[in-house]
Amino acid sequence: MPFRDLTDIQLDALKEVSNIGMGHAATALSQMIGQRVNLRVPRVSVTEISTVPEHLGGAETLMVGVTLQILGDARGSIMLLFPQESAHRLLGCLLQREERTLVMNELNVSALKEVGNILASAYLSAIGNLLHKTLIPSVPLLSYDMAGAVVDYVLIDLSQTGNLALMVETDFSGDAGCSNQIKGHFFLMPDPQTLEIFLRVVAGEP
Amino acid sequence: MSERVGIAELRIGRDPEVLKAYGLGSCLAIALYDPGLRIGGLVHSLLPQRRAGDPPGEITKYVDAAIRLMIEELAKAGASPARLQAKIAGGANMFETEYVTLMHSIGVRNARSARETLLELGVPLAGEEVGGNRGRTVAFDLATGQLLVYCARENRTTPL
Repeated sequence: MPFRDLTDIQLDALKEVSNIGMGHAATALSQMIGQRVNLRVPRVSVTEISTVPEHLGGAETLMVGVTLQILGDARGSIMLLFPQESAHRLLGCLLQREERTLVMNELNVSALKEVGNILASAYLSAIGNLLHKTLIPSVPLLSYDMAGAVVDYVLIDLSQTGNLALMVETDFSGDAGCSNQIKGHFFLMPDPQTLEIFLRVVAGEP
Repeated sequence: MSERVGIAELRIGRDPEVLKAYGLGSCLAIALYDPGLRIGGLVHSLLPQRRAGDPPGEITKYVDAAIRLMIEELAKAGASPARLQAKIAGGANMFETEYVTLMHSIGVRNARSARETLLELGVPLAGEEVGGNRGRTVAFDLATGQLLVYCARENRTTPL
């Protein structure tokens, strides 16, 4: 199904499915960092692939990206993006130590990938249960660079089938009262065939 | 005056314009320049080759097709194909290669496809800053033909 033909009901269904997945992911993150994690209502957008980096706050903004492929009954990618200050704070929470700047050493890279792994696993297992599908995350990969450069890797995959990207995006943040609030973006980018699988299940079709 | 060239976009311009492509990862920026007329073009491509059966539409996604189209467009704008010079930047591998798959080498394949297409069309490659694992932003100055390659993480600019 071409992404631009999605109806409002289908878009809402997709938001709801993703919201349930994010709820589980947020709980997992909250337990890891010992803070409450707030979720924004997911945004579902069908956009020209060429405008995706702008949605992320500018192609040149430095970000930490952790990406995983979705394997199993459906295919697609997950991308978790943290602005660099948030990645720095997250590491402070996880590793219980203060580093002055964000350094990408082996321990930090591994910790951030693990966060990606736990969030993606919680998300996929929740939506997998809901849809009666087996969804497995691949090994996480990490990159710390300009947002545009970090995301073009996933866009390449999507661009092979069309010029549009469907993104289900959820912003999450740690305690607002905290001086060290952590913010991040979670993206689900299903393949076109995967989207059809999701929508059939949501619509109650076999 | 500076013009932005987004993913899968092609722009042709002339002195004193500056064409820019931001945040290239495994994508490749290809710049062609006619120093005689100070006309040039910049394209921001994602995939190495257009294959039979690929959906129609934006052919500027593909490195090889984009180069051919850019040469045509430049010729229409008055440039001489024989005078054209090329510079390329990007084609990085942003995520580590512990698990080497076809996807991971996409940056390398993009750069290779550009070199092969340019060679086939007889356009000399005057400079390249490709590969590695760093993102790049490029600014193509059509007054001089210089391609400035900026890496944000290392805060370093390389002129080509």
